[in-house]
Amino acid sequence: MRMRASSDSFRNNHSSSFRDPSGYVFVDNNVLKRAVLPKYFTQYNALKASGFYKKVIKHSLLIPHNESKTTKDSIELIPEEIPFITYPYEWSFSQLKDAALHTLKLQKYAVRNGFILKDATAFNIAFHRGNPIFIDTLSFDFYTPDSPWKAFKMFVQHFLSPLVLAHYHGPTILKLLQTHIDGIPLSLTTSLLPRKSKLNPTILTNIHLLAKAERKYKNQTDKKTKEIKVKKERHLNHLDALYSFIQGLNVNQQTEWGNYYENIHYDDTALDFKKNQISEWISYLNVKTIVDIGGNDGTMVRSFSHDLDLAIVGDIDENAVDLNYQKIKEQKGGNIIPFLLDILQPTPALGFDNKERFSIIDRLNQCKPDLTLALALIHHISLSGNVPFLKIAEFFARFSNDLIIEFPNRDDKMVQLLLDQKRDFKNHFDFYSEDNFEKDFGVFFEIKKRVAIPKSNRILYQMEII
Amino acid sequence: MIVLYFDPGLGAMLVQALIAAAASVIVFSKNVKAKIQNFFSNKKGKKPHQDSININEDESKF
Repeated sequence: MRMRASSDSFRNNHSSSFRDPSGYVFVDNNVLKRAVLPKYFTQYNALKASGFYKKVIKHSLLIPHNESKTTKDSIELIPEEIPFITYPYEWSFSQLKDAALHTLKLQKYAVRNGFILKDATAFNIAFHRGNPIFIDTLSFDFYTPDSPWKAFKMFVQHFLSPLVLAHYHGPTILKLLQTHIDGIPLSLTTSLLPRKSKLNPTILTNIHLLAKAERKYKNQTDKKTKEIKVKKERHLNHLDALYSFIQGLNVNQQTEWGNYYENIHYDDTALDFKKNQISEWISYLNVKTIVDIGGNDGTMVRSFSHDLDLAIVGDIDENAVDLNYQKIKEQKGGNIIPFLLDILQPTPALGFDNKERFSIIDRLNQCKPDLTLALALIHHISLSGNVPFLKIAEFFARFSNDLIIEFPNRDDKMVQLLLDQKRDFKNHFDFYSEDNFEKDFGVFFEIKKRVAIPKSNRILYQMEII
Repeated sequence: MIVLYFDPGLGAMLVQALIAAAASVIVFSKNVKAKIQNFFSNKKGKKPHQDSININEDESKF
């Protein structure tokens, strides 16, 4: 026998919105909306009446929203649309760091105004117009004088622990957030941290001591947390201390493509030609949204981003993504969204029923950018990843109508290096040629333009889906 | 006060109370140190860093 849904309120909600009973997010005629449920009405009305919502929106701390409908059963909000959501395990170190600082800033502001952040998950932050922004409008509750911050442990697991781990082990460890969507467990963090980390008072107390206490009191549910008091001034000082510690945290590691454009000996003429050619095609095609797969630090996209509404730039290299983010911050390049993307292992769907967090493929399908850009990439997928041309073509035909793709032929230095690294297996890649590339891509695309890049062994193609 | 949908952790609350007290001592001593330095150097206090935890209420971003 099939069970009836226990509550009508959960019938239409967005598959990633079910944890917090204060309300839920749902999609109505392609518009993302948020429903506030009666049990949160008191908080919501106070947040509204006190002017708190207005203030946090004004200070760019919270995503703006409009109230669209009010009934006795729910209040309906329409938040400002965020064109593309990236997840914490797709962020670079600086992105996670800024998201952490943003959360602390909001918590301090809330406490000063008589409220608190009742949770502190990294999924409550999105990158919008180049900056982090808090997106969960219902995450606030009343501040009870001298009460501790109940989301503190959550903050440590989602932000402080991964940042400290990356400080010691490099940014690749941030991928742990993908296997731990509720934040990295304290016991795992302490086991991974070097002994010398205990010499740092912030890490010693906020992570090691916290882990020890959590272990000790794990089964003690009888003692009421209400009895524990933290004076407001001390609470704020703790937030200040965490803020300045995180602000000073850095990560230093050479990765695959960091400073790509400085390190490679790519001929300037060839690079300029590429930029101009792509720019010309983009304006001719009247493209407004693009996804650049393997877009490095966004250098290429930046040369024509002023003509675009949105550029989603993914790369496998943490340093390149970080550099891209830093440039976006400096130059206020708000229409560029940087994120980590390993094309041979794209972000999967995660969480309950595999529907809580969407795969990158689903999110790109949903976004449907006008153009997919794939420069200096196919030889890596084909030769390093052993993926046949036909499969690559099928993949690139998923999201956009138009494709601009660069094909380095067998005389290209990088192609030669990749082939040489195959050693005895090299003959397996005899198929790697322009003819085969065009034949297989021709199954999914019509080749509209084909231009050889001067002073290089590379060809630039403009294709349209069949 | 809304009921939490997750366990805040008793240990975490206890440790937080300890750290918050310790953080206050550090902030207090830093303030004293800064005041002494300012007194001797006869300079005006540093302006708050642009990227500070504190929100400047005058800063309108409309």
